[in-house]
Amino acid sequence: MSERAGTGRSGTAVLATEPGTRAEAFLALSELLTGFGRVPLAGTGQTDSYLCALDAVLPAGMVDELLRAAGSLPEGAGREAAVGPAILDDPKLGPVARNVILMWYRGTWTALPAEWRAAYGASPLDTDHVLSAPAYQAGLQWVAAGAHPAGALQQGYGAWAAAPEGAGP
Amino acid sequence: MTGRTNGHGGHDVVVVGAGVNGALLAKRLTRAGLSVLLLEAGPATAWTFDGYTQHLEHFYTATSKGAESAWPPAGNAPQPDPADVRTGDGYFVQRGPSPFASTYTRLQGGSTLHWLGVSLRMLPEDFQLRSRYGVGRDWPIGYDDLEPFYREAEWELGVSADAAEQAHHGIEFADGYDYPMRRVPPSYSDKVLAGAVDGMAVDVGAGAVRLTVRNYPAARNSIPRGDYRPVGAVDGYASDAAVHDLGERCAGNTACTPICPIQARYHAGKTLAQADRRNLKVVAQAVASKVLVDPVSGAVTGIEYQRYEDPASPRHTVHVAKGRAYVLAAHAVENAKLLLASGLAGRGGAGDLIGKGLMDHPALYAWGLSPTPIGAFRGPLSTAGIEDLRGGAFRAEHAAFRFDVGNDGWRATTGAPDSTVAAAVTGDRLYGSRLRHHLVETLRRQVRFSIAVEQLRSPDNNVTIDPRHVDPLGNPRPVLRYHLDDYTLAGMAAATEVYREVFRQAGITDCTDPEKGTWFPSVPYDGQVFHYHGMGHLAGTHVMGGSAEDSVVDADQRSWQHRNLYLVGGGSFPTMGTSNPTLTMAALTLRTAKHMTRELAG
Repeated sequence: MSERAGTGRSGTAVLATEPGTRAEAFLALSELLTGFGRVPLAGTGQTDSYLCALDAVLPAGMVDELLRAAGSLPEGAGREAAVGPAILDDPKLGPVARNVILMWYRGTWTALPAEWRAAYGASPLDTDHVLSAPAYQAGLQWVAAGAHPAGALQQGYGAWAAAPEGAGP
Repeated sequence: MTGRTNGHGGHDVVVVGAGVNGALLAKRLTRAGLSVLLLEAGPATAWTFDGYTQHLEHFYTATSKGAESAWPPAGNAPQPDPADVRTGDGYFVQRGPSPFASTYTRLQGGSTLHWLGVSLRMLPEDFQLRSRYGVGRDWPIGYDDLEPFYREAEWELGVSADAAEQAHHGIEFADGYDYPMRRVPPSYSDKVLAGAVDGMAVDVGAGAVRLTVRNYPAARNSIPRGDYRPVGAVDGYASDAAVHDLGERCAGNTACTPICPIQARYHAGKTLAQADRRNLKVVAQAVASKVLVDPVSGAVTGIEYQRYEDPASPRHTVHVAKGRAYVLAAHAVENAKLLLASGLAGRGGAGDLIGKGLMDHPALYAWGLSPTPIGAFRGPLSTAGIEDLRGGAFRAEHAAFRFDVGNDGWRATTGAPDSTVAAAVTGDRLYGSRLRHHLVETLRRQVRFSIAVEQLRSPDNNVTIDPRHVDPLGNPRPVLRYHLDDYTLAGMAAATEVYREVFRQAGITDCTDPEKGTWFPSVPYDGQVFHYHGMGHLAGTHVMGGSAEDSVVDADQRSWQHRNLYLVGGGSFPTMGTSNPTLTMAALTLRTAKHMTRELAG
């Protein structure tokens, strides 16, 4: 009924994830935020549309500010741990970064907190909504659950009788 | 579809409502050579494969994925929405004291577009509650009268089950009978639960009862028996109605409610597609607004209806449909509303009972975390139940109940997996590998029970109308009065104790916390507060009985006061027991179809 990855835009995706591009920086940040590697993230087909959604809803320059903050994180083993104090605890970038996590896991945009809107700017696009049908289906929450998006990517007759990963012998 | 008319310039039968009951009548009557005009208030968008697919897209992008999320109403045929229960400001005018929590769908196909597909027969004792336990009412017919029609209904709807597993509480099947398809395979989670729970004893007031996690009969396509051919996806405008072989077997989309993407779960369009089209005329976007009656004879002379072209505009034209017989199959609330709007209530006897005795299955959720992964969010939304407390001598004291064992994690109870992710990210401030690990650990272990509790008729639970509250076409909106009585509340208390015992036995950590879950209405009882949701099982509004003094319709669902009028559906139920009502409605309607065929074709 539907496909997980975006179709017809693979050429764009290759260009967009070249080193130094915004998409590459966005994927690098998203890896740290979601706990998923850039291959499964890019494999959702949603990288460009999520960046577009961020650009559309956030005040000008804020996406690049977030990406620069991610670029300034220390390299090496402490990189993921540094995301908390550097980005998630930041009053401006924290709520945006949490929304990035929710986008990847759920395919939704979540209205930013009222105090954030008051401080940094409100957008009419800043409402709770599903970004698109492919975004809904690409949600990493279904992967984490060891399942499939409800209503799509059917697993086949009787597949539900099989033991899930981690169920033991 | 043209449909021939009879020699009187009308049709043989005018049917209001193209849900499961209207579709079954249309199929049976047209195949018997009778001409049928079928009026449907809502649009026929689900009748084509392309239209159905657009409803699926609507579901994907809906923020809330509740029972009506794939099926937005037309303004001229408004319908209740789960979100309205909290605001109190929707299609229903809620007069309390408790909110009525169930909904239905006003589109061609009706609420079978979104139903779960549970197709349990009622228990023999459910038909004799008064004589056996001194509560409720007896039906004018018994299980044995309905058994042949249960079999027919199971074949019409395409029910998957193994008869040997379903013979409990006195349910008997005709010799050699089995369901048309083998049972839908139990989920992994069903098997884990059964391993822990089967054989444990509980006592809800009438001695020890042993529990079994049992697969339930479902109108979802499985492996056929014999030469039965499962009916998959349909397209009402295709020559053979079927869309290749799509949906001839359930594929585990985990979305029975609100929409099965491949139509492996039954909906009324499948039955309608099997009607004899030469004898059938379907008019969608046609809202029945009045039943016209001869004041002397009481006979119905026509159905006035409002036909609209544009679902977004209240512009409409008014017509009258003529037939030899008339059927209201518009749903328990809509049937009552239409009779009330036609001025047919309150003339003593049967007329005083119209709209009275509204019933539902108010239901409790219980949710928890299994000690090991059980594979939540995979398969039909549920495949098993615990049926052992649906019958027994305790029913003299309190309501019976049944457990539906979910395969869909905490979706219904909290909005998971979305809510689980949000709680971890926004609440617990998790991110990165710790977030992923937490979700992997949590989501796969989510367990959900839905416990449907029996409700008896009460004259205080009713549907009325009020000229101050009308919809865009000027038709009255249903005004509901509703409460849960002590019989049901005591059943809820017993059910709560049982679920806690089952959780303990299975090592499930009880996470039930209505304050943290999706909002549902609440009612206090004996030091507890129960949060209940509606199962969409509306019934009782034109009760069936043995005489015009104490009922609206007879055992054939024929109006006592208007002998060429039939009122079909859950509205006819004197009691509900604990089974989901669609199969019993279908059986009753098939019985009515047989009666009408005999009356009209003779």
